[in-house]
Amino acid sequence: MKPRPCLLNFALLVMLFVLSGPSAFTQPPRSTEDLFISDNPVGRTGGNLVVSLRSEPKTLNPVTSTDVSSREVIAQLTSDMIHINRSSQRTEPAIAKAWKVSANGLQYRLELRHGLRFSDGSAFDADDVVFSFKVYLDEHVHSPQRDTLIVAGKPIVVRKLDQYTISVELSQPYAAAERLFDSVAILPRRLLEPAYNDGKLDQAWGLGTPPQLIAGLGPFRLKSYVPGQSLTLERNPYYWKVDKAGNRLPYLNELTYVFVANADAEAIRFQAGDTDIINRLNADDYSVLEKDEHAGSFHLQDIGSSLEFNFLFFNLNSSLPSQLVRKQIWFRDARFRQAVSLAIDRNAMVRVVYRGRGTPLWTPVTPANNLWVDTSIPHPARSVEDAKKILISAGFVWNAEGVLLDKSNSPVEFTIITSASNAQRVKMATMIQSDLKDLGIQVQVVSLDFHSVLDRIFQTHDYEAAVLGLGAGDVDPSAEMNVWMSSGNDHVWDLGEPHPSTPWEAEIDRLMEEQLSATKRRKRKALYDRVQEILAEQAPIICLASPDILVGAKNEIENFKPAALDPHTLWNSPELFLSSGGSL
Amino acid sequence: MKLNRTIMVLLLAAGALHIFALCAGFLAPYDFAQQNRDLLYVPPSRLHFNDPQGRWHLRPAICGLAELPNSPGTYAEDRSRCLPVRFLVRGSEYKFLGIFHCSRHLFGVDPPARMFLLGSDGYGRDVLSRLLYGGQLSLFCGSLATILSLSIGVLLGVSAGYYGGWFDAVVMRCAELFLALPWIYLLLAIRAFLPLHISAGRMFFLLFAVIGFVGWARPARLIRGVALSGKERGYLLAARGFGGSDLYLMKRHLLPQASSILVTQAGLLAPQYILAEVTLSFLGLGVGEPVPSWGNMLATLLQYDVLVSYWWMWAPGLLLIPVFLVYHALGNALQESADCRVYSQ
Amino acid sequence: MRYLGFRLLQSIFLLLGVSLLSFIFVEAAPGNYFDEMRLNPRITNETVAQLRQDYGLNQTLPIRYVHWLSSVSRGELGFSFAYDSPVAPLLWSRARNTLLLTGSSIAMAWLVALPWGILSAAKRKAWIDHASSVIMAILLAAPDVLLALGLLLFAARTRLLPVGGLASLATKSGMWPEVRDVAVHLFGPVLILVLISLPTLVRHVRAAMIEAIDSPCVHAARAHGIPRSRILCRHALPLALNPLISLFALSLGSLLSASLLVEVVMSWPGLGPLLLDAILARDVYVIIGSVMIASLFLIGGMLLGDVLLFLVDPRIRTEGLA
Repeated sequence: MKPRPCLLNFALLVMLFVLSGPSAFTQPPRSTEDLFISDNPVGRTGGNLVVSLRSEPKTLNPVTSTDVSSREVIAQLTSDMIHINRSSQRTEPAIAKAWKVSANGLQYRLELRHGLRFSDGSAFDADDVVFSFKVYLDEHVHSPQRDTLIVAGKPIVVRKLDQYTISVELSQPYAAAERLFDSVAILPRRLLEPAYNDGKLDQAWGLGTPPQLIAGLGPFRLKSYVPGQSLTLERNPYYWKVDKAGNRLPYLNELTYVFVANADAEAIRFQAGDTDIINRLNADDYSVLEKDEHAGSFHLQDIGSSLEFNFLFFNLNSSLPSQLVRKQIWFRDARFRQAVSLAIDRNAMVRVVYRGRGTPLWTPVTPANNLWVDTSIPHPARSVEDAKKILISAGFVWNAEGVLLDKSNSPVEFTIITSASNAQRVKMATMIQSDLKDLGIQVQVVSLDFHSVLDRIFQTHDYEAAVLGLGAGDVDPSAEMNVWMSSGNDHVWDLGEPHPSTPWEAEIDRLMEEQLSATKRRKRKALYDRVQEILAEQAPIICLASPDILVGAKNEIENFKPAALDPHTLWNSPELFLSSGGSL
Repeated sequence: MKLNRTIMVLLLAAGALHIFALCAGFLAPYDFAQQNRDLLYVPPSRLHFNDPQGRWHLRPAICGLAELPNSPGTYAEDRSRCLPVRFLVRGSEYKFLGIFHCSRHLFGVDPPARMFLLGSDGYGRDVLSRLLYGGQLSLFCGSLATILSLSIGVLLGVSAGYYGGWFDAVVMRCAELFLALPWIYLLLAIRAFLPLHISAGRMFFLLFAVIGFVGWARPARLIRGVALSGKERGYLLAARGFGGSDLYLMKRHLLPQASSILVTQAGLLAPQYILAEVTLSFLGLGVGEPVPSWGNMLATLLQYDVLVSYWWMWAPGLLLIPVFLVYHALGNALQESADCRVYSQ
Repeated sequence: MRYLGFRLLQSIFLLLGVSLLSFIFVEAAPGNYFDEMRLNPRITNETVAQLRQDYGLNQTLPIRYVHWLSSVSRGELGFSFAYDSPVAPLLWSRARNTLLLTGSSIAMAWLVALPWGILSAAKRKAWIDHASSVIMAILLAAPDVLLALGLLLFAARTRLLPVGGLASLATKSGMWPEVRDVAVHLFGPVLILVLISLPTLVRHVRAAMIEAIDSPCVHAARAHGIPRSRILCRHALPLALNPLISLFALSLGSLLSASLLVEVVMSWPGLGPLLLDAILARDVYVIIGSVMIASLFLIGGMLLGDVLLFLVDPRIRTEGLA
């Protein structure tokens, strides 16, 4: 009974061994290619890098993938036309080497790089771009990317002008138009058109697909996949970036992802030296690794605040279970929300939850977003006295035992729900519970599994208050439309209202619409600042804290430039190299 | 004779455990939810029997702690700010045995010093106090769930084994069904139908009901096996020949046979059920923060930093071993004495 | 033979019952796989609704159940939302690793438990028996999580053992180093699983052996002056074998489910991490699929146990035929 599984694994290992033949030689740059010249220090070719993924990627199909792990791998296999530089947070040319905007802001003319090849060696031209956008925009494919390519209710129109020129038309001027193209992977028409014509595109490029059938314009290409264990990429010999010395990037021979079960396991594997880079450490594990930092062969970096904001919000939905209507009278009172906000000790939260490696928040725009954050928002310190004054002005009183009573003399108490699998948010809720005791408010913390939390927030509206976190994918306010617009999908505290229910919500709607079509950045900033001010005044969500981005890498890795935007570490994978030149 | 003494000792130990848990409010120096946000993960307090001048005292003292300025998370004792440990001190209010309001604690120190005999956790809460309070839920919930699941198990197992035939087949297939099903999802569904906030008392009832109800299958299978082999024994056939009713035969002859298996099972199941509560907490069916249970205290060890950096956080886990040992040993000792009685019959 | 056929028929109905009830349970739980997408500000509700429809989540339960049954008949066990692929290949590629782990740990546990149990039965009431029962009692009392975490701590602190995974990525030359590499990675998780199952096994082996040693035929053998060791191996052990065989059958039943915790703690690429992921993400067919496979093993093990009991014990044999 024992030998059988052993043999099977053995066979698997042998197969892996056979599959991994000699790696492809890098193609020397040819004069016919328009290559991107990286301005980073010149490195040495060779070596393998091993990084961990918190869960297994589910697919390698850029059209259908939604989960973080899959998208992280796909980002290494593919390229987009215009890319957001993760470090500068601004757009830069990728496959499109230049672009022009028409005077009315409705038409973009993108010039593609000449002579590029996909990682299987086949040629790339405008037809591939047109095909890619046809796929993303096809309603029957249901690509999650489609939604980002719809501007003012109308899909963008992509046309081929000649073999290396593309025109993109919008129905209305769009401030963040260039940013639309980021992470929209260009697909090889030759490989995917048959599947698309058969209506089976969503099943193409699964993890079981043979590597030679998957190709992209990214720095790496698929080499092998071992279910449950690892996925190995090898250098794309046709990649379109070179360094200053004219060497074709990437420097690394291989990039291997190992799958681990959770964040702690990631830290353990990094500490043991099994992996070379760790992407999103939490503060607890950081404190453990810190002790090994001097002895070990790695260094850790706290690169400051992330874009994730955690917040407390009350159920303000108009359709909700009848037993909650009584409590909603408190929640709807902005003064009640402000008092709660004032009674929360955010600095202690950063200390306890993030071990000091985080930022207290009074606005959803975190300091990481230095282009858009409104620095004039006040940061009032915790004050139970001030909170009590506000509550008195709103008609609340305390009884002899110090319990807060509302106008009808019933005690003020509510329940906060939060996801049990997120220890940090459970901690935040527990601290809020303890903080609000000082106001005479009895709070219960109920931690549920994540899907139950989502179901209550999005479907049944059966909750009183919740702690949740959102991480913006981009710094631009256009990425947040669905959160702040009163009709947005992620307007979590009050979903599905056809009309804004208060004047200030109407104002936010107007400001957000306006900034979207304004083209001057200064104008947009002023509008978005006003949105942040209204949010701080009305406190529909009570912002709590944002974790810092904590990363680590082996000392041998050069050009390591972690950034606030996702993916924090491997975004410049083509430029990473090992000082030893060999494998780690 | 020797056996009886063992049973007495074990019963005393188990009884003491339950009494400790019941009197948690009095024995614990602090409230289980009281946070000290500037004293996170403090190692167990040192009891000083000598003062800085080197004089010895019978009454130990506890010194104030200060975080070291350049290394957050590490604390140093300030020997100039030491306060004596005192008995029957006034502290946070609690309900003694759940009835009387009371604020006296067996021992404690005056603020600002803090007495963490087993260290503090990630919120700066006293681990010892939480351990004592946690026992309230875990011990009683575990015992009641065991009683419930064994009662269902005995009822179904004995009758299945006794009647045999299609009834036996149905009950046993049901048991297998119960063992195979993905309970997690049903529990999630149950949680969704329950009110959001469930009072502690109701939650306790719910917890042991769920654990007990889900867990009957294994004991039922075992007891059925005993009943199956027992019913063909000569004395049972003889008793039936004398006109004993089914109920009488099961009660008088099969149950005593099964009783020795029952006590061992009880000894094995109670510890399992104490831990099962963690899974349920995860689904929102257990007690949530800040209420402690032994299960959720053990679960904090799953965090890597706690696992490697704070040895005192192992205390709840290591303390479970002797507690579970008592349960197991009690089960075994009772089984032996039950066997003796069956043989002497 | 008739009894076996009867039991097989029951088992098939049982499996159907498990699948149907699993469907109902999963249906009753709040939320579905696509909910998580709603948190992504870049995906609209319409897209999420459309995806739900495409994957057939809008259909009624009976229709989905019938669809699922037909996919079982094709050997697919349903379709995973997360992996966009049939469930069966997903499960098998990982079940293999789980079987490698649990198979070798059950083998190891029996290899240790048999001599240990026999020894402590032979030296009953001697110090070695007392010491063994104390060790076993402590092992039994230690929560499984604690043992697994203890090993993880040991591995992380001393670096003597790998901290997770099935094979290291560095070794690439030759078959022998690779086999050794897997063996090194197996050691820790197997050790934990052996420690977890050892107390129960040793206790049963000891009890069965004591009963056998006390039996008249062994007394008779001893009276004939046959050496003690020979009595133990040739006379007592065969007598004690019957209860042990049904215990072994039962442990086969838990082959797939015994190691989930250890797999997650030690990042073993088996069913554990896959299942945990699927449970949290509501990838329902993966869960139903793995419940079915685990039930298959469980029911198979119990069937085996019952059949063996049936073959061995004449009292039950007559009952089964009645």
